Order: sequence, then structure tokens, then C-alpha cells
Amino acid sequence: MKPKSLLALALCATLALTGCGSGASGPDPVKLLVFGAPEELGAYRTLIEAYQDARPGERVQLIEASDRKDLLARLATSVAGGAPPDVFLMNYRFYGQFAAKGVVEPLDQRIAGSTLDPADYHPVAMDAFKWEGAQLCLPQNVSSLAVYYNRTLFTRYGVPEPKAGWTWNDLVGTATAMTRDARGLVIKGTEAEGAARLPAVHGLGVEPSIIRLAPLVWSNGGEIVDDPVKPTRLALDSPAAREALKNLIDLRQAYGVVPSDAEVEAEDDESRFLNGRLAMLMTSRRATTNFRTITGFEWDVAPMPVYRQPVGVLHSDAYCMTTGSKNKDAAWRFMEYAMSADGQRIIAATGRTVPSHIEVSRSPAFLDPDQPPRNSQVFLDAIPTVRALPTVSTWPEIEDLSYGILENAIHRGDRLDDVIRELDVKSRPMFARGEHG
Amino acid sequence: MTASRPAPRIRPDTRARRQHLLMLAPYLVGLVGLMLLPALVTLALAFTEYDLLRPPTWVGLDNLTALVDDPIFRVALLNSLVFAVVAVPLRVLVALGLALLLHRRAPGVGTARTATLLPTAVPEIAYGLLWLWLFNPLYGPINQLLRLGGEHGLTVLGRTPPPWLTDPTSARAGIILMSLFTMGETFVVLLAARRALPRDVYEMAALEDATGWDVFRRITLPLMAPVLALLAVRDAIASLHFTFVPAFVVTDGGPPPYATTYLSLFVYQTGFEYLRYGYAAAATLVMMLLTVAALLVQWRLIRRYRRFYQV
Repeated sequence: MKPKSLLALALCATLALTGCGSGASGPDPVKLLVFGAPEELGAYRTLIEAYQDARPGERVQLIEASDRKDLLARLATSVAGGAPPDVFLMNYRFYGQFAAKGVVEPLDQRIAGSTLDPADYHPVAMDAFKWEGAQLCLPQNVSSLAVYYNRTLFTRYGVPEPKAGWTWNDLVGTATAMTRDARGLVIKGTEAEGAARLPAVHGLGVEPSIIRLAPLVWSNGGEIVDDPVKPTRLALDSPAAREALKNLIDLRQAYGVVPSDAEVEAEDDESRFLNGRLAMLMTSRRATTNFRTITGFEWDVAPMPVYRQPVGVLHSDAYCMTTGSKNKDAAWRFMEYAMSADGQRIIAATGRTVPSHIEVSRSPAFLDPDQPPRNSQVFLDAIPTVRALPTVSTWPEIEDLSYGILENAIHRGDRLDDVIRELDVKSRPMFARGEHG
Repeated sequence: MTASRPAPRIRPDTRARRQHLLMLAPYLVGLVGLMLLPALVTLALAFTEYDLLRPPTWVGLDNLTALVDDPIFRVALLNSLVFAVVAVPLRVLVALGLALLLHRRAPGVGTARTATLLPTAVPEIAYGLLWLWLFNPLYGPINQLLRLGGEHGLTVLGRTPPPWLTDPTSARAGIILMSLFTMGETFVVLLAARRALPRDVYEMAALEDATGWDVFRRITLPLMAPVLALLAVRDAIASLHFTFVPAFVVTDGGPPPYATTYLSLFVYQTGFEYLRYGYAAAATLVMMLLTVAALLVQWRLIRRYRRFYQV
């Protein structure tokens, strides 16, 4: 072989070796796949550091996805590629597609041989991650919807603040009284598009999604699917469900208290609240981290309005281990720590979660009176009444479908019968393809 | 004692061929490994049910028949076709117009050429985010500009400015508008082609007192036609892909119902968000067939055009 060829061969070999070699020593770190705001990612880094300090020799590598959809895509492709993360964090509404396909490792045996006691956690969150009777994931948090409100604006306009036990009509009345123009006069937002007086403050912000609609329907005594255990369609045709849906649509179409679609596109509801241009916002605990950056006004949370009985919708994310993990024992040790009181306190400090650990959720780590919202107890009071949405494997598709239909209903004013029929007809094939736990 | 055999002499053309092959090798390896093989595997997966998580199972033509009945796919297909039919000619026309305008040396021409090319150099995601701001219905500079001279948030004609991201037609127009500014490559090729045209032909036309339109129709257009046709073919193929980032970043496939969901976004969402990879592969197969069909149609048009000018 000529010297030049030998040199080329040696160069290629060197490149291949340096390209493939990790250069790291010791056992592989536990790979943790999450997504979240910078503050949340910071909390995971703190959690990992605390874990590594508490357990010398253990290593955890944080893999950051940009959002929920990116996380789903990364998880699916890494599983297909044979190199999945060891642990991932996922909401119960979206884990069904992975649970049904055997991607998530059952944890019952590990729990039985561990110091981790399931009785220490809120049962509703633990149950949401059971698939065919097996505990697949460990819930990190247990949130529900609440109404965040700008206290300073309420004081300025002399409108009574929302309080426990308020009704849907109270909400509409309050939102109407809080929708104001730049001079501080009450204004009807429906007349504002393209007209002289645009609302400077909107009374309420609410996302046109099934997860926002569900607790209202349930509270009114209706259902959102035909069979909560094995659903086959979105069924909003009962009188109770119709009424709740119509009332939600009327917020924009009849009362104009929620921003128009153009206004939402120009500035989303969370930013609008942050900038003091939204009196109330219906959202989960997740928004707290962002709202704690507010310095210009005071804010707090109130429970959801009630129709007939108080019912909340479960928001919960959990640590799940992949069946393809090559580092299961180390992954479990990290999950145990993250679920322990110490681990939950670290994440609770961000304000983003309502801890699933009962003791931590009742401790100052969550109910710290010096940190807004003052009334965090609202989230704990809601736990006994929260219900979970179906965990059918095709739920992500169903949520995307319903979002578009509900968005058009609220902002374009589609006929109620058409909306209900469209949700029913278009969701059927998706439910039919789904697998249930 | 054995006499050493002389080394076989390599003919110069054989050596040159080997060198060419060696230089081409990295590209060929990439082409086969990263394009052709995945494409073949994807085509095979189009006939399976595959969710990325469990092994694929053979379903024959089920995915393709399901696509026919899928209203979201039909909308995505129509959106892609409309985009190709409207945006491709517009992009080539704008690039041609600018190339003809900027092929001469004149003050400011260099800056104008750079400005034309610049959007192509911006990373796609950054470009999408920029337009997200430009299209902002209330605070975006485009609508602010349109409101100049008008009252109560209306334009000077008393109309509401386009609700770019909330109205289906405006959103589709917005995606086309975005694509017009990234025709830098087409512009450069056309600029080079125009500058390479023989001067004496134009001098003769000037002697004959030919009008500008005559010069364009009888000289410039026929001479540049092969390049234009090539660019149109390339753009038609690329149009199936370059709608992805704008639809993904700026409109998220909306406004509902699926106003800017193009085939590329449909494939991504179906495959990676809903884990219906086999079904997404079937939609990809349709995209490939469309590309082949577009190529054949344009190839026939080009042949007819050449025959016309050869007569």
C-alpha cells in the first residue's frame, strides 16, 4: 500500500475512533428527558445536583426538549432507534400511546421492594398512571384548574374578588365588570373589533380546549365522552354538556369578555395577564412560575366557578422509566429520590407544581405565605374533587382536533349543533384506533 | 534470481476516472445512506402499520385507501397543490424580474442584489419567527403600516387590515408571501444566466429599433427559457418541502380547520406526534408521486416549448 493511502486510512481510523468514543469514564449517566420553561429546567438541574451530592457516584444527564410535542417526537424516535432515555416526564393525557405500546416499564415490583410508600401520594395522581392495573409511572405533581386574578385591578375598579363557591353566572358578571377600555369604563368586547374602543383590559382568558371545558361540563352534571372507561366518541350532546359549552362560547360571542382570536394571536393570554391587561385567567398551577416574575401588581388564585357541584380536572405529570433503558437500577434510584420529600421540595420551590407527596403539599415548601399566590390552598382543596380525562392512546390527536373546532366555535361563532356534531363525528375514528388502559 | 516486474502503467483517462470517483465517493455515500436507503425504507413502510415503538405489520394498501377517506389529508393535499400552483410561478417571476432589473452595473445595484439574497441566508426558524412578529395582527409592522392614514384601527380605505394568522385565506397568502422573499438562489442563477447572454444579439435588436417588450419576448425569454424551466421544476419539487417551517413555526397548520396544513406538516404530525409512522410513510409516497407527476408535466411542456422555438 502506498504511503498516501496508508496515511488516509490512518486518518479515517483516527476520525472514526475520536468520533465514536465518548471519552467519559465510569457508568453511563441516567438520561432524564423533560421539557419546560427555563425556570423549570433550572429546577431539574438543582434536583440533579442535589441527587448527585446526596449519592456520590450517581450521575444524571438532563435532556431538554423544547415543548411537549418535541418531547413526544424525541421519545418515539429514540425508542425506535434503540437508544431511549432512561426516565422521562410526561402528562397522563399523553402517556397512553407509550403505555399501550409497552414502552413504559411497570414499577410495582420496584415499589414493593423500596422505601417509597404509595400511600404518601395523592391517590388520584397515582391512579392516573395505572395501565391495566399496573403502576407505570410515579406522579410528580397533582394540579387542577384555578382562576388566577389581578388583585390590583379588582381593587382599582372596586369589583369584589372571586371567592370559593362562586357560580358560572358570578364569573360572567365579574368578567363583564372587569372588561374595560383605556379610560377605565366598562366596555363590551364584542363591539370592539375594528371599532374605536378596544378593551384595554379583558375580563377573562380561557383556552378553547377540552381540558378547560371538561370541568365545566362535569360540574354541570354532564360528560365529555360517551364512556369514561372505554370512550368511543366525544359526546357533548347531553343538555348539561350543551349548556356548559354554550356558556363557554358566549364568553366571546355574547359578552365579549375574552380576547378575540386576533388579540390572542397578538398577545397570548399568559402574556396578557403578565402585562396587566387581563383581569382573570383560567389555567393550571404551571403558570405560577412565570407569574412570580410579576412586580407591577398583586395577584392571587381563586377556585373554579361551580355549576351544580365542584369538580376539577386533573393535571399531573409523572416520572416514567422506559422498558428499553439499559440503566434501570440507577434510573429507579433517581426516581426514588425525585419522588422523596426532599426531591419534591426542590421542584415545589419553583412554584410550578402542586407536589404529589401529600406531606410536602401541605408544608411551607408549597404553601409558603411569602410567595404568591397567597391562596395556594385552593389547589389542595380541589384535589378531592378532581377527575382525570381518558388516557386512550390517541388522546393527543383528539385534543388537537377538538382545539381547532372549539377555537372556531368561540371566535367564529359556529353553530352549537354543528360544533357538537363535528366533535362527535371526527373524534370517532380516533377513538376507534385508540388503545385503553 | 527473479527479475522485478515493471509496475502496470495506468492510462491517464483511467486515473482521471478513478480520481473523479474518489472525489464523488463521499457525496455518493451520503446520497445512498442518507437519502436513497431511507426513502426506500419509507416506501416499504407505507404498506405497513408502524408506530415507531412496535415492529411494523404488513397492511397492504390499507394506508393508501385510508388516506383517500381522510379529510385532513385531502385538505393538506389541496393546500400543497394550491401553494405550488401559486407560489412557484410567482417566485420564478419575481426572481426573473429582479435579475433583469439588477443585471446591469449601476449605483446601488450591489446593495440591492445583496438585499435580495439576504433572506435566503437567514436560518429558517429565525426567518419564521421574524415573520411571526411581522404578521402580528395588532402590533406587527405590516398591519401598523397598513393602518397609516386610517382611523380606529382601520386602513385608509376603511377596511380592517388582513388578520394574517386568524383568517384561512390571509394565512395562506402569508405563507406564499414569506416564500417570495427566499428566492435568492433562483435570483442568483437567473442573474448569472442573464449576464451570460451574448451582447451582440441585444445590439442588433437595438439597431432594429426593437421595443423593450419585443427584446424580452423574442430574445431574453427564449434564451433564458431552459434555465427558467429548470428552476421552475426545482421549485415545484422544493415547494412540497419549504412550506414545512413556515407552517410549523408561524401558523402551526392553522387557523382551523387546517388552513395551512401542507403535506410536509401532515407527514410530520402524523408520524412523530401521533406515532402513525406507516400512515405518514403512505402520505410521503403520495408526495413523491406528486413530485414525479410535476416533473413529467413540466418535462412535456419544456419539450413542446423547445420544439416550438426550433421550428
